[in-house]
Amino acid sequence: MTLLYLFRDAFREMLTGSWRYWAWVAVLLLMIALGVWFYAQQVIQGLVVTHMSNQVSWGFYIANFTYLVGIAAAAVMVTIPAYIFHRKDIKDVVLMGETMAIAAVFMAIMFVVVDVGRPDRLWHLIPGIGIFNFPESMLAWDVVVLNGYLLLNMGISFYIISCHYGGCDPKLRHYFPFVIVGIFLAIGIHTVTAFLYSANTGRPFWSNPLLAPRFIASAFCSGPALMILGLQLIRSISNYPVPQSVIKLLAIVMTVSLQITLFLIGVELFTEFYNEGEHAASARYLYLGLNGFDALTPWIWTALLLIGIATFIGSVHVLRNNVFLLNVACVLTVVGVWIEKGMGMVIPAYVPTPIGEIYEYTPSFPEIAVSLGIWGMGLLLFTLLVKAALPIECGNLRRPGVDAPSPICPVSPEKR
Amino acid sequence: MRTYAMVIDTRTCIGCGDCVVACKSENKVPVGLNRDWVVEATSGRYPNLRTEFRSERCNHCSHATCVLLCPTGASHQWNDSNIVLVDADKCTGCKACIAACPYDARLVMHPEGYIDKCTFCHHRVEKGLDPACVSTCPTHCMHFGLLDDPGSDVSKLLLSRNYKTLMPETGNKPNVFYLV
Ligand code: SF4
Ligand code: SF4
Repeated sequence: MTLLYLFRDAFREMLTGSWRYWAWVAVLLLMIALGVWFYAQQVIQGLVVTHMSNQVSWGFYIANFTYLVGIAAAAVMVTIPAYIFHRKDIKDVVLMGETMAIAAVFMAIMFVVVDVGRPDRLWHLIPGIGIFNFPESMLAWDVVVLNGYLLLNMGISFYIISCHYGGCDPKLRHYFPFVIVGIFLAIGIHTVTAFLYSANTGRPFWSNPLLAPRFIASAFCSGPALMILGLQLIRSISNYPVPQSVIKLLAIVMTVSLQITLFLIGVELFTEFYNEGEHAASARYLYLGLNGFDALTPWIWTALLLIGIATFIGSVHVLRNNVFLLNVACVLTVVGVWIEKGMGMVIPAYVPTPIGEIYEYTPSFPEIAVSLGIWGMGLLLFTLLVKAALPIECGNLRRPGVDAPSPICPVSPEKR
Repeated sequence: MRTYAMVIDTRTCIGCGDCVVACKSENKVPVGLNRDWVVEATSGRYPNLRTEFRSERCNHCSHATCVLLCPTGASHQWNDSNIVLVDADKCTGCKACIAACPYDARLVMHPEGYIDKCTFCHHRVEKGLDPACVSTCPTHCMHFGLLDDPGSDVSKLLLSRNYKTLMPETGNKPNVFYLV
């Protein structure tokens, strides 16, 4: 019964809001409509509407996929302090981190779905019905861990929310084992995704033991950065009390990860270029251009510049404690890492091809439109979940018959 | 596992491209796609130049990374041999195998929505024939047979001549050999 009430109230909450809330939802719906339209074209005409080719067979979609897996994995940066180190302040925002993970995994899965040429045959991936090439194929592993992580996060958040709604205290011992599994899965999704690339022996740019550590490091830059931005937004819109100590902790996590990321990039540059061999051709294409082809060069240097500035801001105590500058650093990190580990990591492995052809790739308009659509879906999912969860977490919304505690949000949450 | 191999003599290949044409007509490969191709590699410094012609295709690797990485089992090895085929009905077009192949031997964008590649003409091999490219070659520079059979053409050639494989460092154990 509680569940029925919960769903009813949650939907009611999602469907009521100020004009600002509706304007935001309308923008997202517009993005989704654009994406769906172009995806329909892609299904009808096939992958030819993209600029992917025999030479560069993974492009913009897989770049976004990689990035989003990182964002999803970064949720452990709130679950670990909250549940392992028992930071009370972080516990208040742990749900927000998990919601972000849910939206990010959802988008990541969508990006894989739009990338395949024959989505109608995806059912072959369902164990039991199709031949699921597990445990050999890294892609099969990715399917397992991504879906597992999604379900786990949904389960934990749902348990906490429904407990709060029903007026009981969620018992940590009920879900603690799942939290622990979730922490391992978070590292797992990103490691498996890195292995998906490292397993390709013919592509020296990927076949590199540093790939997984670099993935994890850069995930812990962009994830906390997004969380800092999101938490401040939620705080200003809804008055949900997000302690500044949480923001500070996330800022330090981001800074340390940025420093590690820059170090790892340096290590890679040294190995590639000190004794430049044939394996460095992709790196040369990315950073310096190869035989006059250099479509990615301006992008990667922009990314490095952005990451560099963000690291500087984060590393200087005064600058990091300045709210405005911290937000600048977060935006730079989000964008910089998106370029560096998206297009900057996926495309160069294909250039030159193993047999030496150089084939440049830039996303086609339909690819960009479909990607925008998926980002729209993810943001919408995130918005709706947060919209429904906030009044419950604030203490304003309880199941009928349960007394609402005194709300912790100073003013009743203005509708997002 | 039976291992079929192709042995190609780069010294008698004249780069005519007949193997490419033979494959296209035998296997009805769509316009714009090729399952095999001829590489013309020039080395040395003028005036001491040397050209090597190599007819390249899928190496039907003994350690086939494409089969390993395929999530649905669409890429598989035929009849307990090293011949790698793609089951068109099971291929989702995820392109993991393209990334996994060190020889660029796989073609995406087949109009029917699956990954196409050289099949070593297993439909001919079944009947005891050579692959179409091997039968067509005007200089008889291509040889096909079982590596496990010491009496086969390919085994004898590999015993008596110097040869190389492409990118052995990837660990794929390729089965197309080039006599040099
Ligand atoms: S050459 Fe490529 S496609 Fe052929 S078996 Fe080896 S990895 Fe697979
Ligand atoms: S594209 Fe097809 S054959 Fe290649 S790995 Fe994916 S499902 Fe397998």
